[in-house]
Amino acid sequence: MSRKLLETDGPEWVKKGIISPEQQRQLLELYPEDVRAIGLLPLLGSLLVGLSALSLVAANWQGLPEWIRIGLLLGGFLGAYASGEFFLRRGNSSVGIGLVGLGLILFGAAIILTGQMYQLIGYDVTGLVAWAVAGTLLTYLYRSRFLFVLTVVIGGVVQGYTTGQLGAFSYAAAVLTAGGLGYYWWRRPDVFLGGVLASGLLWQTGLLIGHLHAKITWFFVPAMLIYAAGDWQTDRPAGRALQGPPLITAFVFMLGLALYGEVGSYAGMLRPPLLAYLAALLVVFVISLAGKRTRDRMGSATDWLLLLPGFYLSGGLPLAIASLVVLYAYSGAVLWRAQVEQNPDRVTLGTILFILTTMVAYFKLTWEFMDKSLFFLCGGVLLLGLSWYLRRRNTRASSR
Amino acid sequence: MFSLLSDQVPLARRRQLLLLTILAQVLFIVAVAAAGYATTAYGRVITLRTTPIDPRDLLYGDYVTLNYSISQLPTNLWREPGPRPRRGDPVYVVLRPVGQAYEAVRVYAKKPNVPADQVVLRGWVADRWRRNLHIRYNLERYYVPEGTGQELERRGARKPLLVNISIAPWGQARITGVEIVAPDSLGAPRL
Repeated sequence: MSRKLLETDGPEWVKKGIISPEQQRQLLELYPEDVRAIGLLPLLGSLLVGLSALSLVAANWQGLPEWIRIGLLLGGFLGAYASGEFFLRRGNSSVGIGLVGLGLILFGAAIILTGQMYQLIGYDVTGLVAWAVAGTLLTYLYRSRFLFVLTVVIGGVVQGYTTGQLGAFSYAAAVLTAGGLGYYWWRRPDVFLGGVLASGLLWQTGLLIGHLHAKITWFFVPAMLIYAAGDWQTDRPAGRALQGPPLITAFVFMLGLALYGEVGSYAGMLRPPLLAYLAALLVVFVISLAGKRTRDRMGSATDWLLLLPGFYLSGGLPLAIASLVVLYAYSGAVLWRAQVEQNPDRVTLGTILFILTTMVAYFKLTWEFMDKSLFFLCGGVLLLGLSWYLRRRNTRASSR
Repeated sequence: MFSLLSDQVPLARRRQLLLLTILAQVLFIVAVAAAGYATTAYGRVITLRTTPIDPRDLLYGDYVTLNYSISQLPTNLWREPGPRPRRGDPVYVVLRPVGQAYEAVRVYAKKPNVPADQVVLRGWVADRWRRNLHIRYNLERYYVPEGTGQELERRGARKPLLVNISIAPWGQARITGVEIVAPDSLGAPRL
C-alpha cells in the first residue's frame, strides 16, 4: 500500500465506517512522506545553469589548455559524487543516488576524453574496464539497486565496444559482471535485479559467441548456467527472475527455428559437435537438477524440455517439426504445472505460449498446401476453439 | 569487500572505503594523462607515412582511421627462426628513416638492440597471408580536432599523410600530430 492510496481513499473508508479517523492517522504514520529537500524549481534552475556551463565548456574544449581540461573532468565527477553524498546525508536518497550515478557516468566520460586527448584510447580496454570496476565498487558501497542496473549497462556497453570496435572480448568485464554483480545479487536477492543481471549476462554471452565465431547453439550452455544459478538461489522469486531471460531466449530461438528452419545463412552455424555439446549441456543440466533437488523445486525441471536438441535433425520439414515438438512439450508442461499448482498467472502464460506455438505450427505446416481463404478460416476456427477449450479448463481449474 | 553486503559494517568504515574508491578514480585519470604526457615529453618522435584508403572508410565520427605503409609487411622481413608469427602475436618492427618517413626493415619476436638511427615499434599481428603480415600498432586511430576531419579525409584519400609518432623509452607510442603533404611541400598545414 502506498501513502498516496491512503490519502485519496482513506476519507472514503472512514466515511463507510471501515476504519476510524484515528486508525487512518495511524496508517498514514506508517508511510512517512519522502523528505523533499529541494523543490522542483531550484532543481530545474540548477539543471539549466549546469547545461549552460556544459555547452560553454564543450564549445571551447579544443582551445582549453590540457591541465584545465583534466581539471574540469576531475571536477565534474568529484562534484557529482560530493553533492550526491550531501543529499544522501540529508535523507534525500533518490536525488543523492541519482547524483552518484551521474558521477559514475562522468567518470566514464573522463576516461574516454582523457584517452582521446592523448590519442591513447582506441585499442586499450583497460580504461573501460576500470569504469566497470568503479561501478561495481560503488554498487557495493551504496548497496543501491540503481547503481547495480547502471553497472550492468556499463558492462554491456564496454563489452559491446570491445567486441564491435576492437575485435576482442574483454573477459575481465565479463568476469566482473558475473562475479562482482552476481555475488551481490546472490547475497541480496531481488526480482528486478535478477532479470536485469541475467539480461546483461546473456548480452555478453551473445557477444562472446559472435566473437569466437562459434556455433550459435553454444550460447545455450552459458545461458543455462545462468538459469542453473537461479535454481540454487534460496530466494525463490529472485531465482525465478534470473531464469526468465534464459528461458525467453530459448523459447524465441526455438520459435525462430520452427518458422525459418534451414533457410538463410545460419544453417551451417546450428550444429556443434554432437557429443561435446550434449556433454556440456548435460553437466549444466546436472548442476541445475541438483539445485532444484536441494531447494525442493523439482517441478520446474520441465523447463529443460526447451533445451531438447531437436536442431540436430537436418532438412527443412523434420527440423521444423522437431522444433515444434520441443515447443509443444514445453508449453504443454507449463499448462500442466499450472493445473497442478492451480496458479492462475501460470495458466495465462501457458495459454499464451500454447497459442503462439499453435499459430507457428499451423502457419508452417499448412501455408503452402492450402487455399488462402481456407487457410485463414481454418486458422481462425482453430484459435477460437483452442481459446474456448483453454478458458474452460482455466475456469475449472480456478473453481476447483 | 564482500563483507560490505552485511548490515554490520560501521558507517565510518563505509565512508572511508568510499573515499578510497573515489580517490582511486582520480588517480586513474591522472595516471592516464601522465602516461600520455610522459610519452610526448620523453619520447623520440618519428614520422610515418600512411597509404591512401577508400575515403568512405576513413572518417568515423570524431576520429579517422589511418593505414600506414608499415601496416602491411612482406613476410621476408621476419628474422626469427621457426614458424611465422600467428594472429595476435606481439612483434617488434625495426624502422629506419627513408626520405620523409620511417619504413620497416626487419621484424622480430623479441625486442632487438638497434643502431642509433633506427627505432623499434611494437605491434601485433592482426592477420597474415602467404606473402604478407598485417600488423596493428594501436596507432590506427587519430582523434581529430573538431571540424578538421572532412579536410583530412579529403586530402588523405588522395595523397599519403605524414603522422608524427612519439615513442617512449618504455615502448609506449602515441600520435602527436598529422601533417598533410602539400604538393609543393610549402606551407603544409598542420592539424
